[in-house]
Amino acid sequence: MEYYPRTVKTKDGTSVVIRPLAQDDGPALLVFFRALPADDRLFLREDVTKKEVIDRWITQLDYEEVLPIVAVKDSAIIGDATLHFHLYGWHRHMAEIRCVVAREYQKKGLGTILMHELVSHASQKGVDRIRAEMMDTQISAQKAFRRLGFKKEAELKNFVIDIDGKSHNLVIMVNDVSELWKKMEDLLIDYDLSTEH
Amino acid sequence: MSTAEIKFGGFGGQGVILAGMIIGRAASIYDNKFATLTQSFGPEARGSACSAQVIVSDDRILYPYVTKPQILMVMSQESCNKFLPEITEDATVIIEEELVKPKGLKPGMKLFAIPATRFAEELGRKMVLNIVMVGFFTAVTKLVDCNAVREAVKTSVPKGTENLNLQAFDRGYEYGISLVQGSAAPVIQ
Repeated sequence: MEYYPRTVKTKDGTSVVIRPLAQDDGPALLVFFRALPADDRLFLREDVTKKEVIDRWITQLDYEEVLPIVAVKDSAIIGDATLHFHLYGWHRHMAEIRCVVAREYQKKGLGTILMHELVSHASQKGVDRIRAEMMDTQISAQKAFRRLGFKKEAELKNFVIDIDGKSHNLVIMVNDVSELWKKMEDLLIDYDLSTEH
Repeated sequence: MSTAEIKFGGFGGQGVILAGMIIGRAASIYDNKFATLTQSFGPEARGSACSAQVIVSDDRILYPYVTKPQILMVMSQESCNKFLPEITEDATVIIEEELVKPKGLKPGMKLFAIPATRFAEELGRKMVLNIVMVGFFTAVTKLVDCNAVREAVKTSVPKGTENLNLQAFDRGYEYGISLVQGSAAPVIQ
């Protein structure tokens, strides 16, 4: 975490600070989620407009279990991405990634920056596969994940319901991080042994 | 120094050639210098000693082969034993301190050691050891501009691995700077 805070620029040149969520971020995070349009909250797993939900996240903050990275502009949170590790069991080689960006900062590459950050963290933690789950109607989210190397692995019919109670297919996308590092390993070996006699 | 002859050594699969290539690329493409790279390998397969020879110069390089290195960076004991007798008497020797115990250093030589394997493991991927070493090399030799080497790292590693490789570079570079400035314990003969 010594790598943070860090300033990054979005596609339109806006400077944004990215850093892990901190204990005193509760009020700012609640403001961020409450300001999200209903359409954007439709697909979230919990009712993030409730203070008790945010309080629970903050009090249970443990970067080893869930790593939340926020994007901050002028003291306001404008993006939140989380990486959920599975510390035990048959999913322990896998982590799940989630990301929400304020409407006015969408389509500026901020979501990609946050997710790229978490993909990098997952890789460092020895995670081999990163999973992203979304509803089939979240087309732009699927595009963003594809750009980061995620591939659609499954679509489960009528598997989830949104906050309005409407059912949707659940799309599961996976990024095999180990493939990236296999490329690196191949590069090292190929270079070192390329003219072996 | 207008011209520096450098030898990078290790065993196959450690990324020795990539390390040499990054320094050469940084100098020639991103730092307005000239560079050559030649490489050699042992007759055995993976795990045998291999080396990259790099010349970095402010002027055009007329002879591309390293004859008497002024800088030696080694990541294996075998390569250290093999290449140490070849270097100049006032050479700078850069080692991975957990893998290499140099024998036969001369009084005028400068030794810089880094626990690069441990740093790479802390970053989550042991294979970035060579990039940690490149960062350390950059800091202690000051031969090529830091930003030029960072750029060369970014453009030399597989897409998607840039962030971690840059962190590995920074880790090695910061350790090197702290060592040169005296906050880490220098090992200078």
